[in-house]
Amino acid sequence: MNMNVANSSTTPLIELDRVSKRFGGLQAVADVSFSMRSGEIVSLIGPNGAGKTTLFNLITGQLQPSEGVLSFEGREIGNLKPHQRARIGFGRTFQISQTLTSMSVLENAMIGAFLQEKELAAAAARAQHALTLVGLDHAAKRRSGELTLGERRRLEVARALSMNPKIVLLDEVMAGLNETEVEEIISLVRKLNAEGVTFLVIEHNLKVVRAFSQRVLVLNRGQLLAEGTADDVLANPDVIEAYLGRSGQ
Amino acid sequence: MTAASGRAFDGAAPSRSLSNYGVVGFRVELLRLIVAMAILGLIVAFYLGDTFTLNILATTFLFAGLATAWNIIGGLGGQFSLGHSVFFAIGAYVTAGFYMRLGVSPWFALAPAAVLAAIVSALVSFPVFRLRGPFFAIATMALTEVVLSLALYFESVTGGARGISVPFRRGFANMIFTDRLSYALLMMGFLAITLLVLAYIARSRLGYELRAIRDNDRTAEAAGINVVRTKLIGMAISAALMAIGGGLYMMYVRVADPPTLLSLFDIGVKVALITLIGGIGTIYGPLLGALLVVPLESMLRATLGGVFPGSNLVVLGIILILTALYLRKGIAGAAEGIYTRIRKGRRT
Ligand SMILES: Nc1ncnc2c1ncn2[C@@H]1O[C@H](COP(=O)(O)OP(=O)(O)OP(=O)(O)O)[C@@H](O)[C@H]1O
Ligand SMILES: [Mg+2]
Repeated sequence: MNMNVANSSTTPLIELDRVSKRFGGLQAVADVSFSMRSGEIVSLIGPNGAGKTTLFNLITGQLQPSEGVLSFEGREIGNLKPHQRARIGFGRTFQISQTLTSMSVLENAMIGAFLQEKELAAAAARAQHALTLVGLDHAAKRRSGELTLGERRRLEVARALSMNPKIVLLDEVMAGLNETEVEEIISLVRKLNAEGVTFLVIEHNLKVVRAFSQRVLVLNRGQLLAEGTADDVLANPDVIEAYLGRSGQ
Repeated sequence: MTAASGRAFDGAAPSRSLSNYGVVGFRVELLRLIVAMAILGLIVAFYLGDTFTLNILATTFLFAGLATAWNIIGGLGGQFSLGHSVFFAIGAYVTAGFYMRLGVSPWFALAPAAVLAAIVSALVSFPVFRLRGPFFAIATMALTEVVLSLALYFESVTGGARGISVPFRRGFANMIFTDRLSYALLMMGFLAITLLVLAYIARSRLGYELRAIRDNDRTAEAAGINVVRTKLIGMAISAALMAIGGGLYMMYVRVADPPTLLSLFDIGVKVALITLIGGIGTIYGPLLGALLVVPLESMLRATLGGVFPGSNLVVLGIILILTALYLRKGIAGAAEGIYTRIRKGRRT
C-alpha cells in the first residue's frame, strides 16, 4: 500500500514517448511526448483534424501507434488491447456517443460496472451511483435510445465512471450540452478529481478549459504545439495563429 | 484511504433489490420459465392420445429448443450464424456413433457430442468472428457446404449418401420408444434445458456483455469486455446445446443422411428464421416462433406437400415478410409492447 502511494508520486500515471500515427500518407499524430501525474486534470485542445481523437485512440488502444512508446504506471502498454487497458484503469467516452440502444439507461452504465462487479444487483447499484453523479439517476429506467444528445453524453461519462477508472478520457463531452449541464460536468470532474481521479479532456470550449485544467496541451497538425497553464497557452501567439489560421474559432 | 485510491469510487454500493432498478434477475425469470413450461405441459396433456399431434409437438419443442440455443449467440450476441446445422450434425453423428459402435446409451453420448461441438465451434468461429454482419452469415453458410462435402466423403462416420439408420430396439436406455408421448416429453425436456441456459445467461453478466457487443463492440471493448472471448463462449454454449438437439433428433428419426442433418434451409436457416419471427434476442421468442411455424409447416406439408412441393417454404417466407413489416421485434416484442401499454394505461 505504502509502496504504491510512493510509486504513484514518482512515476507518471501515463507517459507517451515520441508517439506517431500515420494513416497512409497522412501524419495524424507526429512525435508526441508528454506525461501526466496521477490526480491531474489536463485538457487537450487544437483545431479540427489536429489529431486529438486519434491520440485518444492510441492511448486507450483502439489504434496502434506507427511509432513510439506508451506507458501506464511505468509499465509499457503498447501491446495491450482496449479491453485490457480498460481493466488496468482506463475509462473513456467517444466523440460520437455510442449508446447501447437495446438497453435501459441504467443497463448502459451497468456494462461499465461489470468490470468491477460480477453480480447483477451489485452492478446495478454501482451503475445507479454513477448515474447519480452525472445527474441521470431520474432517467435510469428509460430506454437509452430516447435520450437527448446531452443526456447521451452524460450517460457515456456514467458508463466510464462506473468502471471505476484511474484515468478518464473525455472526448468533447460538453458539445451539445446546455450551460447548466456544462456547469454540472465541470463540478463533477472537479469533485472526482478531488478524490484522486485523473482526467484527460478534449475540449473546444475555452471557458471550460480555463475552468478546470491544471495543464493544457495544444495539438496542431498532429504535433504538440504548446504545453502549460491555460492562461499561458491561450496567450501563446503560435496557438492563436493555429486556431485563427486553420478553423477560425 | 479512498482519496488515495485514484479511482472514481471504491466504496461498497448500497444493495437494493433488482426490481427497484427495472432490471429482471434470474430468479424472476425462473418463475416465468416454470409458468411457460407448465403451459406447454398442459398442451401435451390435452393431446395425450393423439399420435399425429404429439409428433408435431415433439418436432415443435425440438425446433423451439434449437432456436433457443441459436438465440444465445445469434440473438444475444448478434452473430447471425447460418451454420448451426454443423453442430446439430456433430451431435447426431457422435450420439449415433457412440450408441451403435460402442453400445453407449444415447443419454451419455450427448455429453461428448456437446463437448465436441463446443470445441469445433470455437475453432471455426475464431477466424470467422473477424467478419461482420452479412459477411459473417455468408461465411457460416459456406461452412455448412464444406462440412456437407466432408460428411459425404467420410462414409465410415456418416454412412455417406446412404446415411445412418439406428435399428429399432425400444427401451429407455436406448432412448427409443414406441409411443409418441415419450418423444414429446423428451423434446420438452430439451427445450426446458435450453430455455434455462438462455435465461440464466440473459440475466447474468455474460448476457449483458453479449448484448453490449451486439449493440456496439467498440463500446463493449472500451468497457473492458474481451469481445472475442465473450463471443467464443456464447458460440460454444450455443453449439453444445445444438449438438444435444442433434443427438435427440437422431434417436427420434433413427434415419438420417448428411443432406438432412446439414440442411442449410431445414436446420441452419430455419432456426434463425424461427427466432426472427418469434423475437430475436428475447428469451421466449424462439419458443413462440416455433409454436407458430412448425405446426403450420407440418400441416401444410401433410395437406399441400404432395400437390405443391415447397409450399411450406413459401408460407414461411410470407410469415417472415409479415413479421419484418409489422412486428419488428417478433411476436415476443409485440406481446411485450401490448403488456407495457396495458400497464401504463392502468397507472394513469
Ligand atoms: N481511421 C482513420 N483513417 C484515416 N484517417 C483518419 C482516421 N482517423 C482520423 N483520420 C484523420 O486524421 C486526422 C486527425 O483526426 P482526428 O479525428 O484525430 O482529429 P481531431 O483533432 O479529433 O478533430 P475534431 O476536433 O474534428 O474532432 C484527420 O485529418 C482525420 O481525417
Ligand atoms: Mg476528435
